[in-house]
Amino acid sequence: MNGITQSTALWYASRATGVVSLLLLTGVVLLGILVNRQGRLPGLPRFVVTGLHRNLSLLAVAFVAIHVVTAIADPYVTIRVAAVVIPFASAYQPLSLGLGAFSLDVVLALIVTSLARARMSRRLWRALHWLAYAAWPSAVLHSVSSSTDLRHGVLLYLAIACCLAVAGAFAWRVSHAGREIPREERAAVTLAMMSPRSAPGPEARRGSRRASADRPTKADIR
Amino acid sequence: MTYGTTVPYPAQHPAQHPARRLTQPADSRPRDRDTELPRLLPAHGAVPVDLRTHMSRYGAPPYFGQPGRLIPVLKAAQLTGRGGAAFPVHRKLTAVAEAATRPVVIGNGAEGEPASDKDKSLLWISPHLVLDGLQLAAEAVGSNAVGLYVHRNARLQERLRAAVAERAGARIDLAPVEIIDAPPRFLAGEESALASRVSGEPAMPRFKPPRVFERGVVGRPTLVHNVETLAHMALIARYGPHWFRAVGTADEPGSMLCTLHQADGGRDVAETGLGTPLRNLLTLDEGTQAVLSGGYHGAWLAAADAARLTLSNAHLKPAGAFVGAGVLVAFPANRCGIAETARVARYLALESAGQCGPCFNGLPRIAAALDEVASPQPDPRAVADMMRWAGLVEGRGACHHPDGTVRFVRSALHVFREEIRLHQYGRCMDPARRPFLPLPADTALDAADWS
Repeated sequence: MNGITQSTALWYASRATGVVSLLLLTGVVLLGILVNRQGRLPGLPRFVVTGLHRNLSLLAVAFVAIHVVTAIADPYVTIRVAAVVIPFASAYQPLSLGLGAFSLDVVLALIVTSLARARMSRRLWRALHWLAYAAWPSAVLHSVSSSTDLRHGVLLYLAIACCLAVAGAFAWRVSHAGREIPREERAAVTLAMMSPRSAPGPEARRGSRRASADRPTKADIR
Repeated sequence: MTYGTTVPYPAQHPAQHPARRLTQPADSRPRDRDTELPRLLPAHGAVPVDLRTHMSRYGAPPYFGQPGRLIPVLKAAQLTGRGGAAFPVHRKLTAVAEAATRPVVIGNGAEGEPASDKDKSLLWISPHLVLDGLQLAAEAVGSNAVGLYVHRNARLQERLRAAVAERAGARIDLAPVEIIDAPPRFLAGEESALASRVSGEPAMPRFKPPRVFERGVVGRPTLVHNVETLAHMALIARYGPHWFRAVGTADEPGSMLCTLHQADGGRDVAETGLGTPLRNLLTLDEGTQAVLSGGYHGAWLAAADAARLTLSNAHLKPAGAFVGAGVLVAFPANRCGIAETARVARYLALESAGQCGPCFNGLPRIAAALDEVASPQPDPRAVADMMRWAGLVEGRGACHHPDGTVRFVRSALHVFREEIRLHQYGRCMDPARRPFLPLPADTALDAADWS
């Protein structure tokens, strides 16, 4: 193969958009965890984190779409259209493409439900959003098993970095799970932080209901 | 025309002032039955109206025999919701009546606004007008699930239960009425919070759409009307739209109940026609520096401006205020408007349901900044910070709590700008910071207080 000829252009495009999709989806997962924990990025207001999570996920869908379309269109391997959405229906690399198809289905479900979020039950939306934690590992396995690109060199380190970042964020999320401030106390905690000179803070009002040890600290609501 | 009524509603406010009778303003219109006020509260007021008196005065509720027939009558009357939003009543009824599933009808008497007494007074004095309205509304939308959502007060709820039982004995109701306890929160009466509470969950607002009249109590289309709206309905059903429109303005017809707070501390519920000049309702002399219209989600007006306006959205909206649920406060000249607004803003911040980030992060910041402006020689950046945060929270909550709070705070920064200037020099109209605006004694922060 000398350079990118017409027949290989689609193959290169599919591989490249696959790698970019993986990076974007990793970013989306990290930001999603941050949004869930009400965290923020340094120097940015909180709503920017939410906006970034949303817009990055839409961008990822665009790249995944190109990735899939070019993979189908590429004559080098034959992938039926049905195999793209039905997991493990492919003749070529059934396991690997099946994982990809599963991820694609979940990502599409998450996008559709999030766009229709105002019109649906919040509980259902939340339950479906948990599937993101299944879709991302399956997308990584799909990338590693179907391509030889991620098995060495810079891209290998990139894949490892993605895995470490998501694993770390997930561990952080799990370890902070019980430390959310109850809804009815959130405004009071912020107010206590903001106004040192105004009189009784939430601690005085809350009485002995909470032990002082598990009282929310400033770090929790930053 | 305005009539005051003395209200024997069980006092809950630590500084309850003797209610006072308003003087009747000079009026050249001919007095006939149509324009006579008050309509909702008995003219000689203090006595709660029992079922016998109610039946001898008004007779049984004039049922229409089939669903839907009341709706064109209400449309002709141009009755709007008296809970604050002034939404056309017939539109909600139409939407609910046309729904595929059987609707739920709830009368809203939660009245979370600490400065408002009118719903409690109406329920205490004329419960049967409200209950008539509830039955007529239920008939109009073809519902047999009817409830009355009421402010947490044992005496009031007991009285209403007795009234409901009495009506059941007399067989004048089409559907049994359940009394539902409203938690003592500012937002408890918000439509979606009400639907959530009646469904057995905490009384917290949720995002709309779907609107409550599409999906409300346990997912069924739900008609929610303020209790005063229901009482007007009961009278319109009897006397017709022409009678209703004999009072008020052409665009905003009818009368409404107002809670009036005078600068001397007087507190009273009065019924008045829309379009009544504010100066006929409040004493607006040099003892009053500003007027609060629309309660704590409403807006401040300078006393001189308020004296030129009437009680109508046509007049108040261009001035940045609105009629709302009829809370009008004459703020005395010898108090600090910024300190008082800061005290209420703090209360409003603590009343956030803690669901939407812009609300539970933004309102406490705004309240703290306002507290800073209320203190001597405040940080000069506080006002600019507040304006910036106000823009960030507006329109970004599930309910209008951030929007209403921001409107209230912004109007204070404008109307009390002279006071802010005084503070920069370390001076204040009222260094003692005596409280004037009514607030509940303490704000509980327990989850239990939402349910």
